[in-house]
Amino acid sequence: MEWKQRRSLLGRYDRLQPMAQRKFKIAASYSAVGIAALVVSFLVADPPNWLIWLPFTGLFVLLEFFAVEVNDRMMQSSSVMVVMTAGVIFAIQPGSDAMFGMALMGATALITPQDIKERRWFQPVANFGQIVVAGAVAGFILDANLGHLQGASTESLVRVAVATALASLAYATIQNIMVRHAVKKVFGRDNLEPWSQMHVLFTSEVSMGLLGGLIGAAYLIADRPAMLVLIVAVYGIGHMSLYAFSQLRDAHLGSIRGFVKTLEAKDMYTRGHTERVAFFAQMIGEQLGFTGTQLETVRWAALIHDLGKLAVPTELIRKRGRLDDEEYDLMKRHAHLVEEILAEVDFLQPMVEIASGHHSNYDGSGYGGSGHREGRTPSLEASIVAVADSFDAMTSARSYRMALSQQYAIGELRRHSGGQFHPDVVDAFEKALEKTGRRWGAPHVNDEEMARRLAEEPELTLRG
Amino acid sequence: MADWSKSTIATASWAFPIVAGMAGLYAATRATTDPFEVVIAIAFLVLASLVGVATSNSGNRFTMGLAVAAAIPFVLTRGTGVDLAGSVATYGVGLAIIWALRYSRGESHSELLPTLIRRFAGYVVYAVVYSAMRVGFLADLSGGWEDLLPFSVALVAWITVEVTLRALLVLGPRELSRSYLARALLHDLNVFLGLALTGAMFGELFPELGWWALPIALLPYMFAHTAFKRFQETKVTYKQTIRALARIPEVSGLGIDGHADRTTELASSVSKEMGLGPALVEDVEYAALMHDIGRVSLNEPQVIRMGYTDDDIARWSAEIIAESPNLDRVATHVLHQYEPFRKPGEQTDPEVSIVSRIIKVAAAYDWQVHDKGLSPLQALEILHAGAAYEYDPEVVASVHRLLETRGVLTPVRT
Repeated sequence: MEWKQRRSLLGRYDRLQPMAQRKFKIAASYSAVGIAALVVSFLVADPPNWLIWLPFTGLFVLLEFFAVEVNDRMMQSSSVMVVMTAGVIFAIQPGSDAMFGMALMGATALITPQDIKERRWFQPVANFGQIVVAGAVAGFILDANLGHLQGASTESLVRVAVATALASLAYATIQNIMVRHAVKKVFGRDNLEPWSQMHVLFTSEVSMGLLGGLIGAAYLIADRPAMLVLIVAVYGIGHMSLYAFSQLRDAHLGSIRGFVKTLEAKDMYTRGHTERVAFFAQMIGEQLGFTGTQLETVRWAALIHDLGKLAVPTELIRKRGRLDDEEYDLMKRHAHLVEEILAEVDFLQPMVEIASGHHSNYDGSGYGGSGHREGRTPSLEASIVAVADSFDAMTSARSYRMALSQQYAIGELRRHSGGQFHPDVVDAFEKALEKTGRRWGAPHVNDEEMARRLAEEPELTLRG
Repeated sequence: MADWSKSTIATASWAFPIVAGMAGLYAATRATTDPFEVVIAIAFLVLASLVGVATSNSGNRFTMGLAVAAAIPFVLTRGTGVDLAGSVATYGVGLAIIWALRYSRGESHSELLPTLIRRFAGYVVYAVVYSAMRVGFLADLSGGWEDLLPFSVALVAWITVEVTLRALLVLGPRELSRSYLARALLHDLNVFLGLALTGAMFGELFPELGWWALPIALLPYMFAHTAFKRFQETKVTYKQTIRALARIPEVSGLGIDGHADRTTELASSVSKEMGLGPALVEDVEYAALMHDIGRVSLNEPQVIRMGYTDDDIARWSAEIIAESPNLDRVATHVLHQYEPFRKPGEQTDPEVSIVSRIIKVAAAYDWQVHDKGLSPLQALEILHAGAAYEYDPEVVASVHRLLETRGVLTPVRT
């Protein structure tokens, strides 16, 4: 019976989709570590003061419930303040320890009504593991530093501040590492948007923890129940600052989406082009070692790189054959117009400069707005967008020609490497393309002439 | 704005800081607190008022000075009770110095004065209520829950005074309805409470912790401050995005220069004059800015061949706006922007929102004045003539009142 059951369990695991299998692995390992941390802290530390543990845990669950998405697939709440307040109180009060109380508080991460309702098991289980471990380690630090104090006083506040700062640092670092590891393992690098502004979030989590600890000590010193109302108000303020962060991020993403959609509404050939250029640009950036905000900047610049085309007559954008001088000049304006349109959008200014240089060549020729300086090498970011844009222009269909093959497109990039394109960027792109194992463009269309003929006489395609 | 209020403001701008300063100095002579502590409190107040400005939703500016102010009566409390005179002295002298500094930095009378009067009055009420309660039935705070009572009641009194005075003192009362101001102030509550609670936190902790209370109160303030900054930036981002989108027809040479901006200015003023809430006023502004964005489609080869109508532009505009996040409502307003305000045989058309009606009137007015070159009066007459079916008579009446207040309705001899 035991064997049978095991076989059926294994059989079930094998039948799971690869993503679910990866989730299962992470959930199993994280929850195992979490349970181990709970058991160890239960064995080595005294239990907390349950009368204090209960209301603080209630607040912890509440703040976790209101966690906000601060980055792609990454939720954050201000619950670190609650954990630290309670931890400091447990560590200082005689007869109780912080380690088990904090770890057990983290275990309530399993109680997430929304996840239970929608039958999501992965997030709560993985969160349980990482918060319990982070809580136990932070609790251990607090116990080690504050456990010997006999009650709180103003003289011990420096020690409380240092211990809380250390504990918060450990808490935030462990959580950060474990969440990043889980998300990358489960969703893979390709499906993740760059995680920007992590330093801001990390700093705010550590300082929230520090504040939480300090008000814990202040509560003990002042010893007045009225303080509790103010403490809850401070938690509210912490939550508000995170909520404001996520609102601002939504606004930025929404703004970019709005521009991209407007461009697509005007020209259906742009549909998909911007997204693909952004995807390629991100690939190149990662290959070149870009991370966080730097990577996001390149991605956003790629998303807006063609916005100037909104002000170029559609007829011209779709024109078959060569453009005459006047038309070409008009077409060239789009690199300037992106600056004109976005001049007043403050947060996009770094991206606008990159976007306006996406027709600037490595050898200093080309054209563009402020991102192009005649005779000078454009920025690395602008060079990335240029390569990504050219690759997609070649490997996607146009009104006058079919899509060219990836092989042809790479050949062209290589042929112009060092002249039109930045050699490092071309190299990085080739390597990144190899890694993905995917292929773009029509497999057998290996020259421009053929691509044009195929577009004009579709029956040729049928004959193969 | 009427002339009397300009001259009153000019006089009061000079008189107020002097009166506040004198009151403060007089109060200082009655104060029971150590003068050294009062001086330190004033220094804090002035310093905190100069750093970290957070602008609220309604454009009201808050500084950390408010948090310091909230803490003053707490700090100047000793066993014998609250030093009311000391508290008023601190704030009065502090406010006079703040006025001088801000004035020397080039801020105008008309902006400074209403804020300072409001703050001073609100603060005095707060301090009086707080100290009265501490002297009266809560003289002996036992360290229990009732400790919060004096602060809470005083805070409610302070906010009430702020709300009332803001509605009365904001300039150009004829252009703004009171209900708009009151609602706008409710939007400020989170900023106000955030700052006041930070101050109370310091006040509660100071007697026990001494100066340690400062970092403990400063951290939440910093969180609150960054939160307000981010909220503000969020709003600015949406506004800038919408402005940028609105510019596209003009940049492409397909729009009418300045039409979107002028229509927005008029539509926004009309909606405030009519007493719409801040959320609707925002809808009006967004819809007015983008009401013509569909003109980007005018260089589509197919459109050039087939021609287009106003309704087509409204439809294209709405389609583009609907793609943008959080703007579905605005898209609906824009879709109905050219429709008459009522159906034949009926009093109204429920599909045409007040926002659409305002945009229709404002855009038509701007069109008559700037494209056809009519005078404001002539343009208004055309609106009045159309008020039976096309233009909502209430909106037209509001435009009329507004233009009258602005003094542009001078008769033109033809």
